Amino acid sequence: MILEPITYKGGVYRHDEILDLIEDLGGYIIQKHLIAQDVILQALIPRADIALLQTIARPLAGEVKTAPLVGTEIAVVSMSLEIHHLPHASCDVAEYLRTEGAKTNMIGLARGFGKRIALMNEEERNIINEHDCAIYLLGNFESCIKKKMPVLRRGIHVPIIVCGAPNRETLMQIIDPPVDGYVGGIGRFMHRTKEADEIAKLDDIISEVAQVLDRKRAAIAKDPLSVSPARLMDVIMAEISAIRYVTSPIPVVVQMDGLRVKLSFDQYAEEVRNTKIEEGVSVRKVADVLPSRMRDYILIKIRPFSETGVKV
Amino acid sequence: MSTLDYFEVESTDPIGRDQYHRLASVVIGDHGLIGVLKKIHIYIDPEIPIFVATGITRKLLHEIRVSDIGSVSHENGHVTISIGEETYFAALLQMLWDRFGKDLVNQPDRFTILMDLDEKVAETLSDLVVIDPTESLYKDLIYSLQVICPEGFKVRKQSFSEGKFFFVASEDTLDEDVMPLVREKFALMGEQG
Repeated sequence: MILEPITYKGGVYRHDEILDLIEDLGGYIIQKHLIAQDVILQALIPRADIALLQTIARPLAGEVKTAPLVGTEIAVVSMSLEIHHLPHASCDVAEYLRTEGAKTNMIGLARGFGKRIALMNEEERNIINEHDCAIYLLGNFESCIKKKMPVLRRGIHVPIIVCGAPNRETLMQIIDPPVDGYVGGIGRFMHRTKEADEIAKLDDIISEVAQVLDRKRAAIAKDPLSVSPARLMDVIMAEISAIRYVTSPIPVVVQMDGLRVKLSFDQYAEEVRNTKIEEGVSVRKVADVLPSRMRDYILIKIRPFSETGVKV
Repeated sequence: MSTLDYFEVESTDPIGRDQYHRLASVVIGDHGLIGVLKKIHIYIDPEIPIFVATGITRKLLHEIRVSDIGSVSHENGHVTISIGEETYFAALLQMLWDRFGKDLVNQPDRFTILMDLDEKVAETLSDLVVIDPTESLYKDLIYSLQVICPEGFKVRKQSFSEGKFFFVASEDTLDEDVMPLVREKFALMGEQG
């Protein structure tokens, strides 16, 4: 069964029917937003059942659309958290990715600015590597991007999408060895992105990220994960009572090959490891439960079928 | 940026130049400096790397003096200031406190200040400067140039006098004498540095 990431937008009225339907179809609700009279659901549902969901949602004035970024956690890497990069362009990009269903974390490097002086420390590198992919928001000058990219990519093993003012072809030419994605024409700027050409650039970032993540999905599909991250999220939400007291809007973040659980690693790691997914299969058997570099959270990386010999 | 007589961004990187032209116009507008600047020339060479901004400001607003805020009368050293313009009242009080001390400045009601001063000082009181707009302009101008300038260009030299300013920054050590470069950029605007 292939699960397709979707967003559902509709009214509060009878939305519980949609929730029940998604669960009955074997899908998973990643996130639910209740905003005044509107409901926005980010969910994974079987590809074959999208038409059925659309048919049932129509009388409720609900809109279903595929959202390739649902169920992913993306690092938006800004060269610093100074006014030079915030709120534009970093926040604009991060916000736009969120509207497409991604969970984004903005990572401001301590010393990412400059040409000769740009650096990335171990903590920043480890945090970026906990994500599904990283979007690097670079500047306006070709020579700066060329000079600093080798430093900024060192030790990063998640796919990188580079954004900068030079056009896409120039970025491809100056970055060696190549990265996974390029978006040209979007460097450092100091105004809100609201004009049509600027929104088109943000759409280019979405499509580039979607392509990069599709390639990653295809690579994962060659050796499938022992358990779907969305299913593991459901199990943790049901079995670990402490998660209900987490005040964060997303207590369990779904990634493509794991989860970020917003509970203290020292207190809850063992409980998570011992949680049963099915009879005879605990989390310990199918996943690595690791300390996250982000606060004291728990990072779960699901092992592939070839390693565990288990598929639940 | 149509109100500026001259606005140019010069760079060895044509894409970067266009981006910085837009960026500089947004920052200057956001900081309310369009009406204040007359000419500005920005030069960026990312290869060196160096950022140079040179410019000329328009004739600034005059200084706000005590006589602009209220009428001053004095007799045998007894000074009375009757406030007419309350906008700058806080700044006036602060200036008087700093200069004469709080003990000497009495405020019996909202619009009156009484002071006992030496007769000679009392005669010059109405000419004292309360607010000098060039001070805040200088801060605003330098701040906005810091925002425009590529981040990481922390080593800088700046100057602002008699309506002319320059701002030179780099991430490397600057040349001891940056004036030839500054004069060159002033010359491009048709001015002498």
